[in-house]
Amino acid sequence: MKKLYILGAMVCGLAACKPNIEPKAPERGDADFSRYLAVGSSHTAGITNGSLYLEGQKNSYPYMLAQQFRTVGGGEFKQPLVPGEHGWPKGKLMLGNVQGPCDTLPYLAVVPFRGALDTTGTHLNIYSQGPFGNMGIPQTKAPDYIVEGFALTNPFARRMFNKPATARPVEELLLLNHTFFTLWLGVEDVLNYAAAGGVTPPAANNRNLITSPALFSIAYDSVLNTITRNGAKGVVLTIPDVLDMPYFRALPAKSMELDLRDANRLNLKYNSTQVHFDVGMNYYLIEDKTAPKGYRQLREGEYIRMDVPMDSIRCAGWGWEVPMPAVWVLTADEIQAVRNAINSYNDIIFTLAKKYSVPISDVRYFLQTVQEDGTQYNGANYTYDFIQGGLFSLDGLHFTGRGNALIANHIINTINWHYGSSIPYVDANMYSGIKQP
Amino acid sequence: MKKRFLLIGSLLCSSMAFGQAYQLNMQGMRQLAMGGSGAAIPWDASSVFYNPGALSAMENPQVYASMNAVMPRTRYISAPTGTDMRDAEEQVFTPYNVYFATPVGYKTRFTAGFGIYTPFGTGISWANDWTGRYIVQEMRLNTTFFQPTLAYQITDDISIGAGFVYGIGNFEYRKALPLIDANGNEATRELTGRTSGVGFNVGLHVKAAENVHFGLTYRSQVNMKIRRGFARFNNVPNSISGSYINTAFESTLPMPQVLTAAVGWDVSEWVTLQLEANYTGWAAYDSLKFDFDNNTDMLRDEASARRYRNSITLRAGAKINFRNERWSVMLGTAYVPTPVREGYLDPSMPDAVHFLATGGLSWKLSKRISLVGALEYRFYEVRTGKSLEYAFKGKYHTKWLNPGLAVTYDFN
Repeated sequence: MKKLYILGAMVCGLAACKPNIEPKAPERGDADFSRYLAVGSSHTAGITNGSLYLEGQKNSYPYMLAQQFRTVGGGEFKQPLVPGEHGWPKGKLMLGNVQGPCDTLPYLAVVPFRGALDTTGTHLNIYSQGPFGNMGIPQTKAPDYIVEGFALTNPFARRMFNKPATARPVEELLLLNHTFFTLWLGVEDVLNYAAAGGVTPPAANNRNLITSPALFSIAYDSVLNTITRNGAKGVVLTIPDVLDMPYFRALPAKSMELDLRDANRLNLKYNSTQVHFDVGMNYYLIEDKTAPKGYRQLREGEYIRMDVPMDSIRCAGWGWEVPMPAVWVLTADEIQAVRNAINSYNDIIFTLAKKYSVPISDVRYFLQTVQEDGTQYNGANYTYDFIQGGLFSLDGLHFTGRGNALIANHIINTINWHYGSSIPYVDANMYSGIKQP
Repeated sequence: MKKRFLLIGSLLCSSMAFGQAYQLNMQGMRQLAMGGSGAAIPWDASSVFYNPGALSAMENPQVYASMNAVMPRTRYISAPTGTDMRDAEEQVFTPYNVYFATPVGYKTRFTAGFGIYTPFGTGISWANDWTGRYIVQEMRLNTTFFQPTLAYQITDDISIGAGFVYGIGNFEYRKALPLIDANGNEATRELTGRTSGVGFNVGLHVKAAENVHFGLTYRSQVNMKIRRGFARFNNVPNSISGSYINTAFESTLPMPQVLTAAVGWDVSEWVTLQLEANYTGWAAYDSLKFDFDNNTDMLRDEASARRYRNSITLRAGAKINFRNERWSVMLGTAYVPTPVREGYLDPSMPDAVHFLATGGLSWKLSKRISLVGALEYRFYEVRTGKSLEYAFKGKYHTKWLNPGLAVTYDFN
């Protein structure tokens, strides 16, 4: 036997029994990927689990794209990395056990990082390490890009800009002298409003207001004009329907559970109003200034924010004993306002992309198909379900590393199709997913 | 010396399983050397497997033992471009056969035989962290069949034989689950189980002329049942461990039926040719099912579609004698289609169409002892395809080298 094996090994030594297929070398096509600039907001910067930290930045879609671009001549890609893993400026979200004053048993819930944050020095300006390829600035809306000294109001921009006190963000985008770009702008222009329950105090500079389509158009045009000026090629991304995200869907409108005693008691209490409770699941009682008595029950198709404090529902009686404050719910009117804005923005993006001859990676459409049917990548399923879905991180709005990888692959699809390149896909299963204790 | 022990150890430990659509076709060394054909001509006691009817030709008792060292090498490329490729772990598998056959008494029409052989098996192992780990990290199946056989010579030229088959085996299937704990470790699921099943093997041998043989054989499907397998979950995050509880499972793995028609022709004193066709009932492998004892919200019974296709394999072989039959040289080839349909190609068994090139030498050492050495090389088509179920696509290529050695001892 041994001799047989040695004989076999000798024959194998001649490479007769080694498969010798090799992948082809990727081609860059018509685009030049040597200096890649990613323009965008929170999703681009690598926000995940509600905060910015090192692992999230290394799982950002621009970072993944840059790695794939390296196979076709892409150069170094710098990100304004933060030093810590616990989240900046606030702690990242994690899964942990909580027990509120009205809970008899602890239960698993999303909680902020417990313990001291490792953020020492994070706020300091690090432009000397730049210029940065990932210019995703968390919490930015399109009009912010044409405001002088914007960085003074945004800690993320302040640490990575060359002239934070005076520059308009569009000017900072030119420092890299990029040859290729991706642009994903406009999500925060509507998400801020939606994530705040749509309620906006009438302050003039309120960041939670929906950006008007006219202003959005001017700002977006300015950004796109700037980053295409030097002849760079790139891709623009559409705005997904943020209302499909788990943040608005994890807690169903009809999930207020009542027993017979409470239901009867509440029906007496709300006698002679439209409010009615049954044994079992009920629509939450919410504050609504337009309703006859200033309150009503939530309706199907209206949403509750995922981060509504459960203690207040259980102990303070939000949603049944007393109306839930309007800031935690999105009513039909607010939902319509969000949808209208997203549609207008996307129309503008399509128009401007055409004007500047930039291809569109329609992530809105892609994510819509995932929301409807789920998707699969190499044996792993991804859906819009919170936690189990694997696509969204614990904040219910930003993606996991694997979710970002699927977005990156969609962008690569667009690039390969439009520029005739053959950039390989990102291996999504190698990136971070939801961590469960 | 130490190294040699390691070598031998690794050979023995690797047992008798190995890769690709899980039929082995190496139950006799002469037959393997002739492209796997061997149902027409009674070569030796391995007719217990190849054609029980041909056993009647045994003139004296014979013991037969053989072993192979199968070395499949598989490479996977995920995308047409890039740098991402993976080689399956290099393994050596050692299927073996032991036969005994004897005429029952003097000038009798009955011949009895017994065979222990390893007709089916598969084995592939990918790196634990590879991209297809949620589909398979390792899969292994090995089988050993025990077959008591009786042959009856109806006339001088026509004989029949039948054997009862009892098969045992082991099954192992490990994959990762996309569940990540706080430290970033992933969970795995491991299914292990012993299998057993029964079947039969019948054959007809006709000597149409002094130098022309026909063989017709049928080996039944053997449903290898796992009555009480064990599903083990490792590294499941604590908070969801209640949904992934170790449990027993049941399954059935069908070993397909094979119908064979063969012809052999002694062209001259020096040259023998044979042709053979196998019809293999792969359609029996419609799905891979696991019926778990304790279902939970996350652990439901599984049925993974395989939808294998029945196939016809064509084989041809030749033997050339030298020096009064003390030496002979054998050559052969075969065309083996794949039962794996488009859309069902997955990395647990990335089968593809292949051709065989085989050769061998037999040497009659003495009046009683003969040695047969054979070498099989498979030319696999490079196959690009996907698994619809797992949304997993890519390009696979397998190379396969398989040396083997047999010894026969005649009591004459």
